[in-house]
Amino acid sequence: MEASARGTSEPTAAIPAPVPAPLWAGSVIGQVLPMYFVGDESHSMAGDPIAAVNQGLIDLRDEVAMHPLIGKKVRFGIITFADTAETRLELSELSEDLALPMLAPRGRGTSYASALEALRQTIPADVALLKGSGYQVHRPSVFFLSDGQPTDKAEKWRARLEELKDPGFRERPNVMAFGVGDADPEVIRELATAPRYGFMMTSGASTAGAIAEFAASMLNSMVASAERLDRGEQTIEFEKPEGFVQLDAPLV
Amino acid sequence: MRESGSATQGRRRIRLARGPLTIGEPAPSIEPRLASGDPYRPDTIADGGTAFGLTVRAASVRGLAKRFVGGPRQDDLCLGVHSASSTVIAAVADGVSAAPRSDLGAALAVRYATAAVARQLDAGSVDWAAVFEQAAWALVSEARRMGSDPAAFASTLVVATVQVGGVSVAAVGDSPAFRLHRKDYDPIVGQPALDDELIGGAIDALPLDAGALETGSCALESGVVVLLCTDGVALPLAGGDGEVGRTLARELARPPDVVDFARLLDFSRSTYDDDRTLVAVWVP
Repeated sequence: MEASARGTSEPTAAIPAPVPAPLWAGSVIGQVLPMYFVGDESHSMAGDPIAAVNQGLIDLRDEVAMHPLIGKKVRFGIITFADTAETRLELSELSEDLALPMLAPRGRGTSYASALEALRQTIPADVALLKGSGYQVHRPSVFFLSDGQPTDKAEKWRARLEELKDPGFRERPNVMAFGVGDADPEVIRELATAPRYGFMMTSGASTAGAIAEFAASMLNSMVASAERLDRGEQTIEFEKPEGFVQLDAPLV
Repeated sequence: MRESGSATQGRRRIRLARGPLTIGEPAPSIEPRLASGDPYRPDTIADGGTAFGLTVRAASVRGLAKRFVGGPRQDDLCLGVHSASSTVIAAVADGVSAAPRSDLGAALAVRYATAAVARQLDAGSVDWAAVFEQAAWALVSEARRMGSDPAAFASTLVVATVQVGGVSVAAVGDSPAFRLHRKDYDPIVGQPALDDELIGGAIDALPLDAGALETGSCALESGVVVLLCTDGVALPLAGGDGEVGRTLARELARPPDVVDFARLLDFSRSTYDDDRTLVAVWVP
């Protein structure tokens, strides 16, 4: 029951508590892994980079829909950010007829704070909905992609990041962060929930090419993670995409 | 005109009932790929029989996920009989998916643990810590022999000694043991996850966490079934109150034959495609 006296899961005051999910005994019908793509839609992504994101998402949907086992186990959502964050795809089953949003550059800013805040609000609501429908829910994963540096004040986005990573936040996600173009490797490393989950495009590579590799890796990760849903610890399976450096070692 | 029984039988086609038992929405039907690799890891094992008045059924089936990619079954089980103490020994292990040789780890863990328990029963009583240390050591030795990291053999382990009057269980990791009485699944080791929690979190496994031992024991009255399983069963079982729990309780009210028991364990249910292992011991 939600009414248990565990104080650690109290959300911070600024964020509304998730709707309690009644889980009646015997109502379990399946297990699911929620995954979110959080993508930069700022103007610097215009042209080939945003086209590579859109193509990557289409390929992801088609591949997962074709897979006989994982389509039922994964739920995928898309949140984008520029000066504001927008939910572009509510958490959905990836079926072949799923209509995907077409991402397009918008706004002037690159507000990491709004993206992180959107996640902090969306995830508990999504998890509650899934549980209410009878699903056992695995710890959510986030794939965060940015080609720029946050335009928010550092203390603002860091505060939102702390809320997302807070051990008292029951539905805190695993975050994998990917920097392309002008992204700051130190910031990308900070966003990732473990240093090995931070990846930065190799300098001199093409941003669109790196995004294509990122999208392929996101798909592989989704397949591998969903195939191995048996262990929470291994919920995230991820291999470094081509053209990226893993940020678990000090940068030279 | 009524035909004689023998003539009717002669014309009747003898047919095998095929297909899995479906519980809820079915999982997709796929042709499994043979697992490659060494040592040989069969898709399914099934065993059973009686000893000292106890009836035992045991099966380990490869999950759909591994059948789809041709990976080896990473669960395993082992049974043993200790005559002097009228004890049935059962061990179940679940190799950690991400550990590359966890199939071997699980196979070694159950065999060495079962042998260690038998030796200790010879000496009079079971020291669970020593049993798990010996099983862990088997994994470490094999890892050294193969020149690999012992963590590559990571596996959970749950071991039980069952006598007509009672059961004693020890476990490292999330493979639970239950006492099934009619429709109620009472955990002996391994508490089911709380409803409001997400699935996940670090799992203890041999050989590195041999000290993280959980033990339990209880008396067994007539009609009770002791169950040892891996999370491939425990997760869809979800505490036992749902469709899976009701179905298993109904089908296990009396011991099925050995092959039917394996078929039962291999039930089809959407999104549950992990390896499954179950040992059941009926108390007379």
